[in-house]
Amino acid sequence: MTALVGNGGRPRLANIKQKVTLVAQVRLIVVLGLFALAITTLLLRLFYYGAFEGQVQRSLVSTDVIPVRADLVDRNGVPLARNMKMRALRVIPEKILGDKNKLAMQLAEIFPDTPASTFLKAMKKDRPSYLRRRLVPEDANKVHALGEVGFEFPREDERFYPQHGLAAHVLGYVDADRKGVMGMEKALEERLVDPAKLAEPAALSIDIRVQAALESELGATMKKHSARGATGVVLDVHTGEVLAMASLPEFNPNKIDATALRHQVNDVTYSVYELGSTFKPLTVAAALDAGTVTNLATRYNATEPLKVGRFRIKDDHAQGRYLNVPEALVHSSNIVTARLADNLGKERMEEMFRKLDFDDRPEIELVEAGRPLWPQNWGRVTNMTVSYGHGIAVTPMHLASAYAALVNGGIWRPATLEKVGPDKADPGRRVFKASTSARIRQLLRMIVSDGTGRKADAPGFRIGGKTGSAEKPKGGGYSKSSLVSTFAAAFPMDDPKYVVITMLDEPKGIAETFGQRTAGWTAAPVVKRLVPRIGPMLGVVPDESRDVDVSELTPLLWRPKGES
Amino acid sequence: MASAPEHTIAPESPVLKYKRKLNLSGRLGRSDRSHLAVWFWELDRVLLTFIFVLMAIGLIAVAAASPATAQRLSDTTTTLNPLLYFYKQLVWLILGVPVMLFVSMLPKTQARRLAIILCAVFLFLLLLVPLIGTSVNGARRWIGYGLTIQPSEFLKPVFAVTLAWVLSWKAKDATMPVVGLSMILTGTIGILLMMQPNLGATIIFCGIWFVLILLAGLSAQIIGISIAGGLGGLVLAYFFYPVATQRINTWIFGGGEYDQVAFAHRTLTSGGFIGKGPGMGTEKFKLPEAHTDYIFSVIGEEFGLLACAGVAIVFFAIIARVLMRLLDEEDVFTIMAVTGLTTQLGGQAIINMAVNLQLFPSKGMTLPFISYGGSSMIALCLGTGLLLALTRRNPYLNRSSYAKDGFQMNGQKGSHISGQTSGESK
Repeated sequence: MTALVGNGGRPRLANIKQKVTLVAQVRLIVVLGLFALAITTLLLRLFYYGAFEGQVQRSLVSTDVIPVRADLVDRNGVPLARNMKMRALRVIPEKILGDKNKLAMQLAEIFPDTPASTFLKAMKKDRPSYLRRRLVPEDANKVHALGEVGFEFPREDERFYPQHGLAAHVLGYVDADRKGVMGMEKALEERLVDPAKLAEPAALSIDIRVQAALESELGATMKKHSARGATGVVLDVHTGEVLAMASLPEFNPNKIDATALRHQVNDVTYSVYELGSTFKPLTVAAALDAGTVTNLATRYNATEPLKVGRFRIKDDHAQGRYLNVPEALVHSSNIVTARLADNLGKERMEEMFRKLDFDDRPEIELVEAGRPLWPQNWGRVTNMTVSYGHGIAVTPMHLASAYAALVNGGIWRPATLEKVGPDKADPGRRVFKASTSARIRQLLRMIVSDGTGRKADAPGFRIGGKTGSAEKPKGGGYSKSSLVSTFAAAFPMDDPKYVVITMLDEPKGIAETFGQRTAGWTAAPVVKRLVPRIGPMLGVVPDESRDVDVSELTPLLWRPKGES
Repeated sequence: MASAPEHTIAPESPVLKYKRKLNLSGRLGRSDRSHLAVWFWELDRVLLTFIFVLMAIGLIAVAAASPATAQRLSDTTTTLNPLLYFYKQLVWLILGVPVMLFVSMLPKTQARRLAIILCAVFLFLLLLVPLIGTSVNGARRWIGYGLTIQPSEFLKPVFAVTLAWVLSWKAKDATMPVVGLSMILTGTIGILLMMQPNLGATIIFCGIWFVLILLAGLSAQIIGISIAGGLGGLVLAYFFYPVATQRINTWIFGGGEYDQVAFAHRTLTSGGFIGKGPGMGTEKFKLPEAHTDYIFSVIGEEFGLLACAGVAIVFFAIIARVLMRLLDEEDVFTIMAVTGLTTQLGGQAIINMAVNLQLFPSKGMTLPFISYGGSSMIALCLGTGLLLALTRRNPYLNRSSYAKDGFQMNGQKGSHISGQTSGESK
């Protein structure tokens, strides 16, 4: 038995063991006490938190649903600008543990569009700074995997434009602090950050379907004719609501870079142009209104250029004969229009332009509203040149509002980019007599059915309009090679609802148009393709059995023998 | 039906017959002498119950935290299942629980031998980490291909047992320089861990060492010196070890608005005492490590601070249960090994909760059995298995004075004290 053999040394060893065990047990109680103390501290802290720091939100609706800046939607509620929580990448230089050079290289690998030196610079600053905003989750995870504690990933509210470039000039964008920089983001700044209205999106007058059609047609034509730019606007003639407004080339408000900054000028409301022959219907309307033209059959001499002082007024489509008013519009005669303005007198011409607000920035919410070039001295020559759109420069927006007044019965209204409720339209002011407006509708329709605007005639949509091809001013004179080709249209002419302006900046002639680059060959076809796309969306049904009655004017157009 | 010739005997009911076939009445009963039955009666079943409670809480907590992590790690090309980590946790538990039960069945000497061998193996692997290890989030802690493990996680429990074994030599021979030896062992591991860097694990290893030399009966003077040394070490670490500098700075001076500590605090307190309800948490989605380091905060948001208190109390119940039972334990090795294992488990839990409650600088340490652990769940189960094996005792030993004297002298199998004594007295 082992116990017997080991009996001799046992008491001494047992003694030591007992002593050691006793010490261990006493200290065991100390250890247990330490654990008890630690757990008690944790429990006290938990109850302190519960009693003093718990901010309980036991609501099914999270506050996250209410955005920090109100959304922008189109007239049908399609989102145009909204907020998204996205991660940013921030660096706190003093917290960085790793090698800054190595980290900068690693960041440059993750974000190939930024050189390592940019990251290194930010990491060597004294203060924390942002390295990136709007991180996609993949990249955030990659940076996180670097294991650098000096990086933070704050979740921030970012403004996001789900339609990308569509209506970019209307929407504008916000800066890093979510303040509107341009467009409606700036124009509606107060409304968008009003705490009481955050949950309710701001509805714009834009119809994004119309906008998309306008941009696609303008874009295609601009490309076809290698034009520098293309602009367009679709306006409701009864309310002044802008349904679409495009200024190409566009930019992506989600990504503001050097290209975007170059393209952010809104040519519809900010740039001014000499809009040329599109002014002729305005002159005719003023003459009809004033009664200086009582008989549309009266003929005016257009056999040779009109000499006024040292100035010669020529026709582009010279007919070499006497022309009546309908013929003057259909063939776009500068000479006859100048004679009409001369008969009307400069006071009444100037008054009409002032009533149309051509002497001031366009009436619209946007901050980007350009001041027209108003003639400094409205003399006899000026009076004659402005009658066909030279010597005065306005924005395409001005022209759209003026055409709305021309065709809607004579009422001018300010344009608006905010949705207007039913019967809430601005009462506006009368510029033309209703009878004048009715006459102009007939004339505009005839220009499209029989004149320079034939290439805009979409069957069944009763389009009326006027071409305008103006040479661009260059170095004191006019450049023969660069044109601004405009087509100002309205439809349906039997009951006009919408004005459409299309404009191409410096289009080039191509084989398809036999080298032509004037409005009739460039801007008018855009309207022909656009209206059948947008008409049905806007409730205008194509109907070839209906049209504005022009039978009383048709006999006034002289036709060569053999042409019916 | 076959004809039954003996009609005189009353037919046995089918249920009884089945029971007899299974021998249910005898199985695990006190008369059952099978190995399994002996294990069952010797086991600390209260402790095992607490462990299972922790595992259950862990599953619920991981299910709550999993969507937050899954969402964070999803990208445009792959979307992770919101409950991915819950399923993974379940798989690791299914693998881990048998490991725990198997280890808990080992006799004490075999459990000790296993721990010492594994300690050597994982110490070797820890040495290999700087050479062939892989980095995750900037720390090189992992080893292996495909299935990676952290050697330090596995080393923790077996280190505690091995250290207890080394220190228990002193009871045999007071002249052995056990404290010096234990310092060398701990110091080596500490340096290897600081290189990774892994400050949290270093603190746990040092904590185990400190508690064990405390139990080993070192004089109050030496203990005072080591406490001073520990504090001095922390101060040195603060000034010369950048990871520590940064962590402690954040803790004392407060981090940024987007610091993980701030996110954790918002998550923890947003549910109040009774929580927002399961799955209703919103703040958890902002947490960087919802399913691991900050799972305690997720519990706080969805189940409330009272549930957090409950978790803390379960941990304390385990600690108290184990340590109280050690008070009538007489074997020094058992006392030290069990206390070491408890320190490892409880210390890690307390530090993790303290980090979540902003009482401690952030460490990168998980909450045992509650956090999603991956392969470290196996390490945890190994440690708990050792704990269960070493706390097993014959329930009758202390009941009769006869048994106390008799069985002890005879070296009855299953009686830990006798096994130890007879071996040493030769």
